[in-house]
Amino acid sequence: MKKIAILAQIKEGQLSDTTKQLIAFVSGFQPEQLKVVTLGEIKFNSLGSSLPAEIISLTGDLWVDTASIQTLGNEVKDFCVFGIKSIQTDNLLSLLAANASQEIISGIQHLSYSAGTFTISKSIFSGKASLTLQSSTAAFFSINRNFDFGGVNELPEVAVASSVSLAASATSNAAIVSLKPITGSIPLPDAALVVSAGRGLKDPGNWTIVEDLAKELGAATACSKPVSDLNWRPHHEHVGQTGVKISPNLYIACGISGAIQHLAGVNGSRIIVVINTDPEAPFFKHADYGIVGDVNDILPRLTKKLQIH
Amino acid sequence: MKILVCISCVPDTTSKIVIDPATSQISNQGLTFIVGPYDDYALSRAIELKESHSAEVIVLHVGGTESEALIRKCLALGADSAVRIDGNPVSSNQIATAITSYVKQNPCDLILMGKESIDYNSGIVHGLVAGALGYTHFNPVMHLELAGDSLNLEVEMDGGKMEVTCPLPAVLGCQEPIAEWKIPSMRGIMTARTKEIVVIPLTDTSEVQLLKADIAETARKNKMIKAEDAEQLIDLLRTETNVL
Repeated sequence: MKKIAILAQIKEGQLSDTTKQLIAFVSGFQPEQLKVVTLGEIKFNSLGSSLPAEIISLTGDLWVDTASIQTLGNEVKDFCVFGIKSIQTDNLLSLLAANASQEIISGIQHLSYSAGTFTISKSIFSGKASLTLQSSTAAFFSINRNFDFGGVNELPEVAVASSVSLAASATSNAAIVSLKPITGSIPLPDAALVVSAGRGLKDPGNWTIVEDLAKELGAATACSKPVSDLNWRPHHEHVGQTGVKISPNLYIACGISGAIQHLAGVNGSRIIVVINTDPEAPFFKHADYGIVGDVNDILPRLTKKLQIH
Repeated sequence: MKILVCISCVPDTTSKIVIDPATSQISNQGLTFIVGPYDDYALSRAIELKESHSAEVIVLHVGGTESEALIRKCLALGADSAVRIDGNPVSSNQIATAITSYVKQNPCDLILMGKESIDYNSGIVHGLVAGALGYTHFNPVMHLELAGDSLNLEVEMDGGKMEVTCPLPAVLGCQEPIAEWKIPSMRGIMTARTKEIVVIPLTDTSEVQLLKADIAETARKNKMIKAEDAEQLIDLLRTETNVL
């Protein structure tokens, strides 16, 4: 295949494991050239030895800077560009695709390449269905977090052939007034384990039992739409059709009945546990493990069990 | 101030999705269609701006005649006029190119749409339109205020949110709580009958080929644990599923 570039999200200067898996996956296509574009400063010199990659680190306010889209566009001109779904990745990929007048496909679950054609399976209807499509012209690809890497488990050894740092220019008219990062908790879209609660909690004051269990598990916390509508919890914790869509290894739903709009945000979870007082709650049909009981009784017992063992 | 609101017409969130064996595509049989919920938020905010800042609101949809009733509902909510680009698009690029061509002929100050359509979940049309037009782009926008010649926005970002000032023209992907959904008034419904829906043909093509759709089946264990044995859950998560 021709040239491949990867848009890599950087956390504390490092590439995520999913990014490394993606590098391994695309190097299977034997690209002529491989570029890793990091969104943020990197704090590594080498990733190992076997695969030469050019590292380009982009710094500055890419969010508001259209000029840096042009700069980045020049760096990846005639490349197939891959990224892992996030707000920033999808925004950048679509702007880059428009700049290059190329086809872009997002929400990719599975991808193969043969004789100049990509065959892609894309998640649709919030994971309720998938769509298989072919394109020989698509050049921008946003893969889902639970993308099928097809058994690529070995994280690649990537040698840094060259490293360039590009700073976003300050020519934009848009300006950031304030940044409010969410601190002190595990980011929901990245979390492997999630404890989520709904109105079955009965009172916002009871939220501590959810936090206690989450803390003991090392899980992120989430909530249903009614709970965020009632301002018991902030909007960014709302999972569902109109909230965050997540696909953790474990999703524990506490006092959530399982409306179809809620399921749309969580049915990509590997294991689902449902705790609810109502044995008729529709969520039980979509659960791996169900407990009919009051979350205010059950959650502290689970926390205690984890503390003991 | 001219605001273009782009809407998707999508199956209701409670729809059961089935495949038509004849075409291997999603069957439209028995589905109720609605204006995309995120697009509905965008439209609601546009109508609020019409009321507070006497903006002109135009609704645009790329799709077939079956969407006319939903476009009419947008007019009943308060949009001034509507455009339907007639065709059956198969890709985000095709939709974005159609919107871009329209805007090049009919300039506007602000283009709003939902952050994604809830059927194909692509979430990239706003970025494609902004990139092609060279307009400022933000997504997903949670608050929007007009401030003279620019906008004050609150935008969600990975792991937080930010407040920005944004020059016009701009393309914004919208999500709650940008506005509350609205219900058309009887007067709105009556006046919508005489409002114009301009129909222009979809001329842009796509090289993407749709092969087939499949229903995602996730087999669940459906194992019930008695409340008095709730602690067993931890053991099962450790031994049976290895998630802990």
